[in-house]
Amino acid sequence: MNAVEVRGVSKVFNAGRPNAVEALVGIDLTIEPGEFVSLIGPSGCGKSTQLRLIANLTEPTSGEVLVNGKPARAARLDQDYGMAFQQAGLFDWRSVTKNVELPLELKGWDRARRRQRALEMLELVKLSEFADHFPWQLSGGMQQRVAIARALAAHPPLLLMDEPFGALDEMTREHMQVELLRICGQTSTTVVFVTHSIPEAVYLSTRVVVMSPRPGRITDVIDVDLGTHRDVETREADAFFKKVTEVREALRGIDTTGIEPDIEQALEEPVEG
Amino acid sequence: MRLPRASVFSLMWPPVVFGVAFLVLWETAVAVFDFQTYFLPPPSAIWDAFRANTALIWEATKVSGLNAFVGLVVGTALGIAMSFLLARFRLLNDLMTPLAIGLNAVPIFVLVAIFNNMYPITSEVPRRLMVTLVVYFIVLVNVARGLSEVGAIQLELMRSYAASEAAILRKVRIPNAVPYLFTALKIAAPASVITAFVSEYFGGSQNGLGSRIVSNIALSNNAEAWAYVLGACLLGLAFYLTALVLERVAVPGGISAVEQVGA
Repeated sequence: MNAVEVRGVSKVFNAGRPNAVEALVGIDLTIEPGEFVSLIGPSGCGKSTQLRLIANLTEPTSGEVLVNGKPARAARLDQDYGMAFQQAGLFDWRSVTKNVELPLELKGWDRARRRQRALEMLELVKLSEFADHFPWQLSGGMQQRVAIARALAAHPPLLLMDEPFGALDEMTREHMQVELLRICGQTSTTVVFVTHSIPEAVYLSTRVVVMSPRPGRITDVIDVDLGTHRDVETREADAFFKKVTEVREALRGIDTTGIEPDIEQALEEPVEG
Repeated sequence: MRLPRASVFSLMWPPVVFGVAFLVLWETAVAVFDFQTYFLPPPSAIWDAFRANTALIWEATKVSGLNAFVGLVVGTALGIAMSFLLARFRLLNDLMTPLAIGLNAVPIFVLVAIFNNMYPITSEVPRRLMVTLVVYFIVLVNVARGLSEVGAIQLELMRSYAASEAAILRKVRIPNAVPYLFTALKIAAPASVITAFVSEYFGGSQNGLGSRIVSNIALSNNAEAWAYVLGACLLGLAFYLTALVLERVAVPGGISAVEQVGA
């Protein structure tokens, strides 16, 4: 069974109106369990929209999305995935532990079991000593680690991440990448990761999906065979630079002129529950 | 929030020094320029009047204070209830917003005169209604904002957890609105005291702080009138401090989220 299957999906915002925009056309993508797939491309290429389609936070105009072999909506209702965004999106009034417990609360877990799992997750992201802190007492990188712990708290088989390290400084960012690979390795989670950093995509991924705007589509899929164990050395290896160059060249073919900045945000539409 | 001793001192000294300097300046000015008592009594005379009339001032304070308190509680309860309805029903929100704006433009105190006509002359109800109304709008506007202005990311997260609207209300909207409620209370608490005694200017029993101020001024007992003003200040301060303490207890970390984001 595939972790994610996207078949002939297109997404049109404001369909039928003069300001209609084809955010995605003819998307086919199959992701197997255990893969780490990055979606990369310039602003407006529909990479975030594609992630939101997989998350069932928006519905496709045509085509179908399967997650864990189920329709995306059923997968969302079963909490088959965890999600993390560029902003950690922690709840200020909840302690770090309580933040991690939130998805478990909504699943109806009892207090003791929630607490135990939350502490396990905090150990996994190396924040045990901050369990009783509040989010605003943590640095940006630490907040993002709490968000990852929260996304993985229910042990979902799939993790969806929308530029989760985009707001972090370069050093924190590289550290977080190492941590993410370690965490996903330990939990054997499949990851779909949206980014616009080429080295980030190459370092993390088993596959990089290159996307292009107007209309948003997949132009290239690049396998990254750097092995399962990746560390500081990996970033300095020739194979790494070759892949970075390969992705860069794939992106170079893309016409980036006249792209409206943050088109995806401009196109945000309300999602039906 | 516990502050180290030195920091409490550094926070306290500017207002204390300013306050003392102000009183000294006032006392000196009255003496130097030989102001008559009916023009401006010196702080020492006000303090003497306050000491001499403590029992009477306390009685008047209880009357105005109870009116303010009843109005504050009822207005807060109604404001919270209505903000939940507004958050739930968009149409109601569209109907209420122009009304709230419209009422803000009206000098709302004139309503006391109308309320006074509805009730017996000695009734405290019109004053309490007035306070209720003032508090109601302050609480309504703030809590409604707290319930609706929730982070987009947080809502997406809740949808990704397949959370019901009821769960979103309980786990996101209500906790998000708590700091807004206390912001409203910090405004509404002193406003309730001001409204309670200004309402007394429009007739009714001569038993509260406001009516005492008016009658003492009418009798040229200026020092006594100022003594009642002092009582009113203390009452307003007590209300404000109570709201502040409640906030410190209720909001984690003791700093309201609204203040943190500088809103």
